[in-house]
Amino acid sequence: MNHTSDTTATGNGGAFGPEQAAALLDQTTQQAHRKFQPSPPWLLVTRAVMVLAALGAIWLSVRGQHPYRGPTAADIPVLVAFIVVNFAATVAVRRHATAGVSGRSRFSQGEITVLVLAFAAAVVAMAGLRAAGVDFATYPTSVLVVPGLAWTVLMAARANWRGLATGLAIVVIGIVGAFAGPAGAWAVAAAGLCVMLLGSATAIAWQQRA
Amino acid sequence: MNDDGLDPLIHVPTRLKIVATLAALPDGDTLSFTRLQDMLGLTPGNLIIQLRKLEEADYISSEKTRNGSAQKTTVTLTRCGRKALGAYTQALRDLLGGL
Repeated sequence: MNHTSDTTATGNGGAFGPEQAAALLDQTTQQAHRKFQPSPPWLLVTRAVMVLAALGAIWLSVRGQHPYRGPTAADIPVLVAFIVVNFAATVAVRRHATAGVSGRSRFSQGEITVLVLAFAAAVVAMAGLRAAGVDFATYPTSVLVVPGLAWTVLMAARANWRGLATGLAIVVIGIVGAFAGPAGAWAVAAAGLCVMLLGSATAIAWQQRA
Repeated sequence: MNDDGLDPLIHVPTRLKIVATLAALPDGDTLSFTRLQDMLGLTPGNLIIQLRKLEEADYISSEKTRNGSAQKTTVTLTRCGRKALGAYTQALRDLLGGL
């Protein structure tokens, strides 16, 4: 990457040529996009690897169960650790990227409430359906559908097309998982979320280079 | 405009960096003075001088808010500033035959 120092300037543009200006504009724009990015590609790739490892490990442990009994006691800490680390890293990186920024790019209190309620509603609905003996309520992918839809609607309202594609991908993973059986749904979640995260990382990296 | 069609107000490294950084935010978003200063590595005095010049041209707007004893200044690129940067970028493209 080219670097153009401020020392090349005279203050009135005298020694600052168009080539230097173009390089500085390009460099500054790319740096700003990187610094303002709440979901940097490196974080998404890390999450993709983590989700593949965590959910893939659970799939390996449940795929031989006949009948299906769900994740073993040894799997639960892995799942909880994955969720906690993922959540903490996401919040920390987002907070750093959006420090000092205010306006539409930040989620409003109402939007955060909608997302939290959507996730809570999905968990409660799945628990209710499970108690009623509905099979797919025990699938790990089923819980993704409602929050995925909420995210899709939110991103559509913001005209954020990459975010909308992510939401739709989550919904599709949830639906495909319903056809994969209880054990297979873990594999669908692992592979689907990994591909979705890698896709997002690629799209953001591409956008930052453009 | 300069002879080469470049806006002299933007065609200064420090101001170009300020405008390009603010343009990386979505339209209407504001950035705190301290974050902008941190990102560009400028002294407060230098940043204030450059921001004032850009504000006089209506390329940016700033707002001061007071929260208790602390005062916070936020800046945003105006529509006019975004348009000026677009015209500046186009002028560079024309001069260099593709950016």
